[in-house]
Amino acid sequence: MLEIKNLSKIYGEGRNKVKALDNVSFSIEQGEIVLVVGSSGSGKSTLLNMIGLLDNPTNGTIFIDGIDTTTLDDNKTASFRNKKLGFIFQFSNLLSDLSVLENVLLPRQIAGTNNTAEKDARDLLKAVGLEDQMHQRSNKISGGQAQRAAIARGLINKPSIVLADEPTGNLDSVTSETIVQLMKSMAKKLNQTFIIVTHDRKQFGDVDRVITIKDGKAFKGDQPLEMEILV
Amino acid sequence: MDYRLRLAKRMLFNKRGSLIGAVLAVTIGIMVIHVNFVIFQGLFDAIVRDISDYRNGDILVTDESDYINKSDLSLVNWFERIPYVDAVAPRLSSTAEMNMTKNGKRFEETRIPIVGVDPFRDIRASTVHETVTEGNYVFSRNSIVLGSIVARDLGGAQVGDSVKVLVVDRWGQDQIKRFTVSGIANSPGGQGFDYTAVVHIDSLRDMLNRKGETSSFMVKLNDPSKALEVKEFFLRSFPNDDFIAETIEESAEQQLAGFRSGIAMINIIGYFGMMSSAFAIVTIQMMLVNGKTKEIGILRAIGAKRKDILIIFILQGMIIGAIGTGVGTAAGLGYTFYAKETKMSWNNSLPLEVTYNWGKIIQTALTSFILAIIASLYPSYRATKLLPVEAIRTV
Repeated sequence: MLEIKNLSKIYGEGRNKVKALDNVSFSIEQGEIVLVVGSSGSGKSTLLNMIGLLDNPTNGTIFIDGIDTTTLDDNKTASFRNKKLGFIFQFSNLLSDLSVLENVLLPRQIAGTNNTAEKDARDLLKAVGLEDQMHQRSNKISGGQAQRAAIARGLINKPSIVLADEPTGNLDSVTSETIVQLMKSMAKKLNQTFIIVTHDRKQFGDVDRVITIKDGKAFKGDQPLEMEILV
Repeated sequence: MDYRLRLAKRMLFNKRGSLIGAVLAVTIGIMVIHVNFVIFQGLFDAIVRDISDYRNGDILVTDESDYINKSDLSLVNWFERIPYVDAVAPRLSSTAEMNMTKNGKRFEETRIPIVGVDPFRDIRASTVHETVTEGNYVFSRNSIVLGSIVARDLGGAQVGDSVKVLVVDRWGQDQIKRFTVSGIANSPGGQGFDYTAVVHIDSLRDMLNRKGETSSFMVKLNDPSKALEVKEFFLRSFPNDDFIAETIEESAEQQLAGFRSGIAMINIIGYFGMMSSAFAIVTIQMMLVNGKTKEIGILRAIGAKRKDILIIFILQGMIIGAIGTGVGTAAGLGYTFYAKETKMSWNNSLPLEVTYNWGKIIQTALTSFILAIIASLYPSYRATKLLPVEAIRTV
C-alpha cells in the first residue's frame, strides 16, 4: 500500500542546510491506523507533506499502490492526490466560500466523477453527524463540526490513504476525543488507512502502529527505550 | 454548475468591495468612451448636420469657373426627378460693404459675405430660415436678413431698418442698393448665417450683373446615404460641363479635417482610460489572489490542477468583465439617451447630434470585456505558481 524508501528532505544550502528527514524507510498496510509522533520541528509534518505529494523529497522514493509518486509530473501528481489521498488539516481548511456539502463534494467534482457524488457526500455527512449542517456556510459552523466536515471531505473519493496533520490540534479536549473516535470508527468501518501526525500520543489510545520522528529519523514505537530505528 | 465557476463566483461575490472596485473600473472605462463619443462625435456630427442643413446640403454642386450658367429651373427639375432628392436650392455668393445710420450715427462694415437665395426653394432645401429669430426670412427683392453678428456690427440693426449694400459687379463697378431688414438670423453654435447677409437671389444677380447665374446648388436628399450614388449619376449625366459635385463629407472636409484628428486623439485617450481600468483590475485581482492563497493551497492539495486554478481566476476576470461591461454599457447608453433626448448643448451653443453607433458600442463593450480577461491573466498565472505546501501554511 505505502512503501517509503530512503526518504530524505534537506532545506536550504551550505551552512543553512537543514536535514528535515534523514533516510526514512517504512511501509504501511491497507486499513492500518498509524500515528506519527514527535516533538515540534522533528520532521513529522514534512514526512506527511512528502507522502501527501505536497512537497518533493530531496532523495528517496514513495510508492503508493505500487506507483512511484516521486516520478509523477505536476498534473499526474494533482490527479493522484485527488484520487488516492485524503487530507485532514489542523485547521480543517474548509473553503469558507462554500457550504459544508459543497466542500465535501469538491474532491469528487475535481475528479470529474459526479454520478453518485451528492448521495455519497450526504451519506458521509450523515455518518459524521452533520446532516443538519449540510447547507451552512463552512465558516458558520464550530471548529469541531468543521473538522468532521473535513473528515468527510477526506473520505469522499475513497482514497487509499487519509493523511491527518494534527487533526485535533485546534480543538478542546472533549471535541478532540469525539474527532479521534470518529476517525477510528470510520477507519474500521471503511477499512481505511489513516496516517495521523500528532504531538499528543495519549489522545489516540490504541492504534495499529506508532512511528516516532526524532531529528529527522524515523523510529518504530513511541517509548524511547523500545524505539528501534526504521531503515 | 461547474465547481470552478461556482468558486469563482463565490470568491468574488464574497469580496464585495473588490468586486465593486473592479466593476467600477470597467464601467468608468466604458463610460469615458461613451461620454467622449457623445460629446466629440456629437459635436462633429452637429457641425456636419449644420453645414449640410445651412450651406452645402447633402450634395453641393458648383462649377470650375465659379459660376453655373445653366438655368435654375432646368437643374432643379433635373434633380427633383430623382426619387432620393427632396429639394434643390440655388445660391449666389459674394461679399459686400454695408452701411447704416442709426440714431444719427453711421456704421459701416466691409467684406461681409452675402448670399442670394431663392426663398421659395431655399426653405425646402435648407433650415437657415429657422435661424431667423426676429422678423422673417427673405420674402421680397428688397428684403435682407442680417446675421446677428452683422446686425451687431452695424450698430444694432433691427427689423425694419434700412441698410445700404454695395457690391462690385462682374465689370468691377460698384453697385449700390438699399434693403429693408426683414429678419435677424442667429444660429446656436454660429454655424448658420450669423456672419452673413441673405438677400433674394435675383436682387444679387442684378447687382452683380450675373443674370441667370448661380454659384452653387445645394441638394437635399431624403436618404443621405445615397449621396455618392446621386452625385455620380449627376456627373455622368453632364459630361460636357465643368460641374463639381461633392458630398457633404467632401465639401466640408476642409472644415472637418482638424476636428476629425481631434476626435481620433480623444478616442485614443479614451482607450488609454480603458487600459487604466485594466491595470486597476490587475491590482484588484492580485489582491484577490493574495487573499485566497490558502484556498488555492487547499484546492491544490485536494487535487485541483494548475489549469483549474487558472480557470477559476480567469472566470473571475470574465465575471468582472461581464458585469462591468453590462453596467458600463447600460450607463453609457443611458447617458447617450439623455444627451439625445435633451438635445444636449452648452451655453446655447449648437445642440449635439447624438446617434447610437451600435458598431462602436459593441466594439467598446467587447474591447472592455476582453481587456478585463487579459487583465486577469497575470494574477491567474501567479495563482497557479503557488506551491500547495506553502500556500496552505498561509494564515
